[in-house]
Order: sequence, then C-alpha cells, then structure tokens
Amino acid sequence: MKLTRRHFLAWAGLSAVGAVACEGFGIREGELSIQSPVSLPEDLVRGKDNWYTSLCRNCPSCEGILVRVMEGRAKKIQGNPFYPTNQGKSHARCEAGVQALYHPDRISGPMRRGGNRGSGHFVPISWDSAGGSEGGVDILSRQLRDRGNGAVIITKPMRGHLALLTDRFAQAAGLEHLKFEPTGSSGDNVYRAAVKSVYGQDVLPDLDLERANFVLSFGADFLSTWISPTRWNRGYGEFRQGHGRERGTLYHADSRFSMTAANADKWIPVRPGWEGYLALSIAQVIVEENLQAPGVDLDSLLGGPGGHDILNAFRPEVAAPLVGLTPAIANGDPAEFIRHLARDFAGKRPSIAIAGGSAGAHSNGLFNLEAAAVLNWLVGSVGAPGGVTLNPTGPWNGVPASNTASGLDDFQRLPQQIRSGQTRLILLHDADPVHGLPGPVQRDLRDAIENSADLFMVSFSPFIDDTSALADLLLPDRVYLEDWGDDIPDPAPGFQTAGFQQPVVNPLWDLDPRSFPDVLLSAAANLELPENELTRLLPWASYQAMLKEAADALYEENRGSISSRSGAATAADFWTTLLRRGVWHDESATGPNPQPKPGLLRDIAQSASQPAFAGYGGADTLYLAPFSHNTLQDGANAHLPWLQAAPDPVTSMTWQTWIELNDATARRFGIRQGDVVRIESSQGSIRAVAFLTPATPPEVAAIPFGGGRRHGSPWATDRPATESSNVAEILEPTRVAGAGSPAWAGTRVRISPTGESVTLSKLEGTTRSVEVGLSAAEEIIKTIAPGHY
Amino acid sequence: MVTKRIDHKWGMVVDLDRCTGCQACVVACQAENNLPINTKDSFQQARAYEWIRIERYWEGEFPNVKARFIPIMCQHCENAPCEPVCPVYATYHNDEGMNVQVYNRCVGTRYCANNCPYQVRFFNWWEPTWPERMRNQLNPDVTIRSRGIMERCSFCVQRIRRGEITVERRGVEPLTGERIPDVDGPDGRYLNYQRMKDGNFLPACAQACPTNALKFGEQTDPTGPVYQYFQKANEQYDKVHHGEYIDESKTRVYRLLEEMGTKPNVIYLKKVDQFPVNESSH
Repeated sequence: MKLTRRHFLAWAGLSAVGAVACEGFGIREGELSIQSPVSLPEDLVRGKDNWYTSLCRNCPSCEGILVRVMEGRAKKIQGNPFYPTNQGKSHARCEAGVQALYHPDRISGPMRRGGNRGSGHFVPISWDSAGGSEGGVDILSRQLRDRGNGAVIITKPMRGHLALLTDRFAQAAGLEHLKFEPTGSSGDNVYRAAVKSVYGQDVLPDLDLERANFVLSFGADFLSTWISPTRWNRGYGEFRQGHGRERGTLYHADSRFSMTAANADKWIPVRPGWEGYLALSIAQVIVEENLQAPGVDLDSLLGGPGGHDILNAFRPEVAAPLVGLTPAIANGDPAEFIRHLARDFAGKRPSIAIAGGSAGAHSNGLFNLEAAAVLNWLVGSVGAPGGVTLNPTGPWNGVPASNTASGLDDFQRLPQQIRSGQTRLILLHDADPVHGLPGPVQRDLRDAIENSADLFMVSFSPFIDDTSALADLLLPDRVYLEDWGDDIPDPAPGFQTAGFQQPVVNPLWDLDPRSFPDVLLSAAANLELPENELTRLLPWASYQAMLKEAADALYEENRGSISSRSGAATAADFWTTLLRRGVWHDESATGPNPQPKPGLLRDIAQSASQPAFAGYGGADTLYLAPFSHNTLQDGANAHLPWLQAAPDPVTSMTWQTWIELNDATARRFGIRQGDVVRIESSQGSIRAVAFLTPATPPEVAAIPFGGGRRHGSPWATDRPATESSNVAEILEPTRVAGAGSPAWAGTRVRISPTGESVTLSKLEGTTRSVEVGLSAAEEIIKTIAPGHY
Repeated sequence: MVTKRIDHKWGMVVDLDRCTGCQACVVACQAENNLPINTKDSFQQARAYEWIRIERYWEGEFPNVKARFIPIMCQHCENAPCEPVCPVYATYHNDEGMNVQVYNRCVGTRYCANNCPYQVRFFNWWEPTWPERMRNQLNPDVTIRSRGIMERCSFCVQRIRRGEITVERRGVEPLTGERIPDVDGPDGRYLNYQRMKDGNFLPACAQACPTNALKFGEQTDPTGPVYQYFQKANEQYDKVHHGEYIDESKTRVYRLLEEMGTKPNVIYLKKVDQFPVNESSH
C-alpha cells in the first residue's frame, strides 16, 4: 500500500487510541518500572527493616540514635528525631557505631595474658569457672579480694546510672575511681570550673544558638569537637539561615585556624593563651561606654568603684598588643577593632560568648574561660532567649548528671603508687591513659605498669588499645549497640532529659562479650561484703533491672514527655514508650535563674594571668597547638576505618598525622608539602607529615590528637611512625591553675625537616575535580553580601 | 482500576551558608551505600570513593584568610553529559529527575567519567572487600559494585523506593503505620517531604546533615523545602535562555558550572560573605 499523508495520519490516530485502550488492561506503571530491563537494581527493595532507638557512645556528647536492623543485623545509624539535643541529626562519628559492632578486631571473649606483659599474647578463658579452670569473673573477684586495698578503677568521665553503679562498686570494693579525659572535648574540668564560678552551676549550660544574633567564640572548636557539636551545628544552621530572622554573625578568636574559624565571619588569630585579655578588653569597652544590657547591675558586677580601675588595665590600647592583634589582623587599628567588636557584641543582642578548647588548655586557662563567660552577664544573655540557658540537675536524685575528669596530679601519682606496691590492681574501662596523658606522665605510667611484677590489670574494653594491651585479664564489654544504658545529656537542652539505650542486636555467634556493669555486679556479689552492705550499695540483679527501676521512678512522677496524659497508663506502657522514643524529657523542669556574684567581674580581672610555657623558648620555637581530631578525637576512634578515612575539614587529610604549618613558616625551615617533619619539645620528639596552609598563624604548629597508637587494630596501628604519631608524647606536663587539668596547649616546639618525604593521604586533589583549576574557586563557591537577597 | 504511578521530580538544595564542612554527610553516604573502605593507599593514588565529598577552597593569605566548604555530589543533570557517551546505555535519565546507573549494563569504558564536568563518577579499579564480620553491616538494598564498573550518587534511590512502596503503594503512614485514606490530592497517598522525613526515606546525607545545609524533596511540592528554590532557579534559567539579565548580586540561587547548560537537579545557595577578604573586613 502506498503510504500517503492521509493514511499516515489515520494510522497515527488509531495507534494513539489503541495505546489509551490498552493501558486499562496493561500492567500497572509501577510494576512495569520494577520489571524494566534497564532499571537500577535498587528499584527493587526486599525485606522488612526495623528501627530501634538507642544512644551513641562514639563520643562524649552521647547523641540519641535510630538504628536500622534487618534480619538481626544492624545496618545504619541515624539521629533520633525525638532526642531533644540532636533532633534527628548526627555526627560522622555516630555512623561508625556499626563498624565498632562488626569490627574484625573485637576481643572475642575473656582472655588471660599468655606471655610477657605487653607482648599481645592472650589465652582464651571462659567467663565462669568450670572443670577446675577459673573463669574471668572469679579471677576478677579473687583479685578484688586480694588486692582491693589501694586498687584503682580508671574510666572515662561517666554520667547517669553507669556512673552511679561504678561509683557504688568502687565504694563497695574500696577502689579509687579515676576519670580520664585527655583533650577536654567532653567539657573538661577547666570549663566546668568556669561554669561553676561564673554561673554557679555544676551542670553545663546549653547555648541557644538558634536565636542568637552574635556569637563570639574563644578557642572552642564547637562546630567540630567541643562538647556537643551536633547540637551546636543544629543551632548554627538556624543561626545562619533560619526562617524569619536576620543572619547571625560569628567571630572566632583562636590561635589555630580550626573548622569553627573557617566558618566564622571573622577569625581573630590571637596569641596562644591570651584569649582572656581580649575578653576583658571587650568588657572594659562595654563598661566604659555603658553598652551593657538594660537591667545589668554594673556596680554589683564590678564590686564598687574600685572595679573600674582594675578593668582599666585592659583598655584596648593595652590589651591589643598583648593579645597579638596587629594592624594587619585588625584592619589598621587594633584598639579600634576591639572597640568595634565590643559595640557589635553588646549592640546586636542576643549575643553569646563561648570559650573552651585551647583557650582553657593553658596555665591560665581558667582565667581565659571565666573572662569570656562573664561577658554573657554583661550583655544580659544568661537565662535569656538567644543566650546561655542554664540547665537543671538530672531527673533522678543522687544519679550523676555531669562528668568531671580527674586532675593531672591523680595520674602523676599513680605510677608511684604502683611502684610502691600501694596499688596492685587496676581496673580499666574505656580509657587509654598510656596513650593520652602528656609525655612524661604517660611514659612513667607505662614504665610502672610494665615493670611492676606485683600489679594485676583488668581491662573491660572490647578492643585492644595502648593501655589494655598491658593488661593481665581482658573481660570484653559489649559494644553499646548490644547493651543497655542511659544518659543524662550534659549539657541538657535547657530542661530535664534522660536518654535510654537498648540492645538493638545480639552479639554475633563468635563473640562472647559481657556487659561491664553486669560483670561489676557479679564481682560485687563475690566480694564477701556484709549482706546489708551489698543490698544498700548494689541492690540490683542486673544493669537492665537497675534501668527499669529508674524508668519506674520516672513513671511514678507522672510528668514530662511520657506520662498518663500521653497514654502511658501503666509502668509497662511507660517502659515500652520510653524504649520506642529513646528519651524522656520534661520541658517544664528547667534550670535556675541565678544572679551573678557581687564583684564577679572585678574578681576575674584581678585573677588575670599570662600563659606560661614550660620547656623550650626562643625565636626558633613555635607554639604547639594540638587539637582534637574531627572524627578520631583523642584516638579512641582510631580503629574505625570510616573515621580514619573521613577527611579533616580544613586540610582534607586522612589516615596520617599531619603538622599544619603556614607556607611562610615552612619556607623559613626549608619544609615542603609532604615532607616528614621532626617536632621536638623538651619532653621528646615525634614525626609528622607537613601540610602547608595559608591560614595557620606563622608562629604556630598544629597537630591533631589521635594518631600514633601502638597496639590494637591494624587500622589504628599499621602506619610507620613517620605517618602516624601521638602528639601527647611531646606535651609538657603542666596543668591549668585552679582546675588541675593538663594544660595541653602550653608547649613550645622546634621543628626541622628529616629529609624524608611521603605522599599525603588527602582528599584534596583526589578527584580531577573542579578544584584543580578547571574553574576558579569563586565560580564554584559563589558568595553574596548579607541583606542583598 | 488502574493504579496511576505518581510522577515525582526530585531535587536537592545545598545551602552553603549553613554548611560547616563537618563530614557527617560523607560518612552517612558511605554507610548507606556500601562504598568500599577508603584506605590510605586509595587516597594516595587519588582513587578514593566519596559519592558526596566536601571540597575546601582557600581564599586570601594570613591573617585575612578564609576557607570555604562545598559539598559536591552527582548533580543529576537534566542535560547530563555522562549519558549520551555511554555506549551500552548503562547510564540513563529517569522521569524523576534522577540520573541512574545500571550496574549490570556497565562495561567500564569510563567515557561517562571523562565527560562529567563535576568529577562525581567513580570507577571500581578493584573488587571491593570487607572483613568477613563487617559484611554484616552492608545494606541489602544496595548492590555491591564489582570491579570494572562505574558508580555514583543515586540520591539514595533505594530509600525513595521504600518510601514509595510504603506510602504510595501500600498506603501506610510511615511514622504511625496508619492507613492513608485513598484520596487524590496532596493529602492522598503521596510521598511528600514530611512523610520522607518521618519515614527515614530522605537520602542519607540530607538525613544526617546537622545544620540542614542539605535539603531534599519534590521540586513541585510546595510544602517541601526545595520548592521555592527550584522555582527561582528555573525562572533564572529561562531568563538567561531568553537573553534577559540576571542580577547575580541579588540572588542566592545558582547551579554549579551553570554556563555548561547541564541544568542540574541540585542547586546551591550562595555563601553569605559578611567581610570579603579583598575588602576592609570590619
């Protein structure tokens, strides 16, 4: 048939009708797409998943999480939307919980040391005695009976019922409880002491960043590692671009160019340890120019007219050169820069001053943090929306809601106690002091443990680390996704909150861990205590029973987010709802609203002191700025490959330990990118690879904590000392006056090239990407002036 | 009765003023999508896999220096340069705004990676391996890509499909498990933003992002977080293509390498710069 135009149109019309008619009889569209031969396999999903609430234990902030479980295996961790601090969001560290759970280097079951101490040779034993061989729990009990006098238990600072149980156990067994926290990322004693003296509180305050207009931060890398970064990041997002508000302004004063500095509108590179002088200079301008918030009683804060005179010592003209503000930093006029900053801080209320991290890690750290915190009283931010929200104590009386760490002195005397035979037993849970203590103290402790034949050390960690490698007995704890638990967030979100952790999966068939608190309860039952003493201190049959009892106590109070009003008619309902939500909170149980102590500002100004640097000095030395690693923190997460491979935000470095140097400083010392650099303090030397930046202050060398592990998983230990080193080894053992914590930012170092060079393990340049010169940076990250959109 | 499949048009918005470079999205993506573990060697050989990565750019010199962060993932271009060069049609464009990779069609020519201006495609140079115990973590919804094929961000299509199955086919509210009334309109069986959020169906990166710098949703859903930005971006796109002037200093919305005409389904919101490095900063 000859195809004419008329025929073509007729056929085309018929085809269209046919297509419409056939749709009614055909396969449903969705199904068609599933069966399409060119579909992605991910179009077909099988199986049912369950989501369980729990708590993350990969960092001290302890966020609420949801865990996706399929066929008895944990697959993915996300933030719990019910949890009031992180509100469904999570940190990179949270995700790696599943890697800890299914880690190939988990200790499979209880073991005894089989070779020399530290040789890494351990022999499997059973938990319970059977057939004439003594089980792990009985060995622990026997050692507690024989060596309990003078014994020590070392843990991280704990909160909630685990803290209560451990404290009670220590009391029952006569143990001294040392709490080890190397880098202050959980809010170390310095910050706690400042909170106590400035706000009169034992628990840490929340920061209402969402509603703040101006944030002035001193040394606290709060967007990366400081205390509760997910909570602060959540607030930061709203602070920048929240609906119905003006964009907030962030100034960050820090001696290192941190992730928070990178996100600040203005980074103020201060001389290390002089943050307090900058804060008091701002206070002086506020007082002099009467910029304080309405209702602030200046006379009371200054303790009378004499206070003005004391504050005058911090006039911007005096303070600016001390703080290290050069005309280049301060746009020509350092004194005017401080004045302008003070006017902005006081004028763009609500404002928040944050201080912590490196600012508190100097000999005068407590002064630095107090001087910054007192600014919040001056601008009326304490207890105000968009300011510092003081928190209530925890929901249970007598259950610790904060986690104070032990001072450096406690760890300095421990080696002597071991050598003298006073301490013959150490219990170790989730703490690695041999890796994290400052140089000479960690070496002394290692030496004492290695060379004391009469010492017995028990580790409860599920992994080998530098301290547990020296243990005599390994009693592996469950990983948190297999265990019960609770937490009282510190800081809480402004009201009473209790998070609950439940086992989301069982341990795999080839693993035989036991919950640390349950082992303590078993050991306590064998302590031969008077019956009424055991009942008084540790009346619980199991840790789960203890937590159930705590939940019942909350149920009895019938208040907060789960109560009879919300449908929890019985204690069983309450427990079920609690586990489904993972958290209980009572928004009506808020913190106090105190007034500042009279003379507070005067007292802080009077206590002003300069930072002291022990060891090396002179023109050829640099300030060493150690910092908590974004994902590894102090090294506790070094065995988790996702966290080793997560690029550092500022440098994009992974797997290796690097030293950040300014380009100009590196040229001065003849160092190029990727060179192996020797870093020497009066306490020793380490090596690290050079990463050159345009942002590191010329007189500063910055090195992350967390590298240089000697024992444990290959992911933590398989790099040579040129590429993975522990900066804690070269820290001076100085302490923060008034707080007792290690002054880990108070070391000066000499650097020199070793002549070696390595390829950097970094993301930057990994992809042949837009960053490598195909386009200019400003074409990729476009910017706009505020208020123009 | 014919069950009409709901047409979606997914899109992502990246707010550079919220992004802090924290890496939460990067690790969340690795956990969700069975990415191989990036070893030290893989970084040293410039062969690390990150379906979403944070790039950092320096601006200025000490002391007036800034570092800026930008998350970059597959831009799911409407006019995707990777698609026409694939000789076996392994990469194609679906009708939901997504660029899709069919792994079992891919023969590993790597033409698509060469043609992608965003460098977001990754070639499997090795068979991915995990320690035996760690394989328990792998997501059963996501294919493990074998040696010799190409992979990239899928907008977590497996999570979207779960959402569609739950809400649009089974008609169940993801959070409460209640049955959704079988009605048309925005209240009907429709995977809107709230249901994605409640049901953990957002892409892993957006779900994790603590500052909410990553927003994901239906481009045409006015209740979702991306609607207004895509409206604006499309308006700008049309203007440019009709030769009209766009005042760049008045809009935050832009697409990456817009001049290439790829029309990505990912749009960016400009970083707000209060004190530009080159000007007086206070």
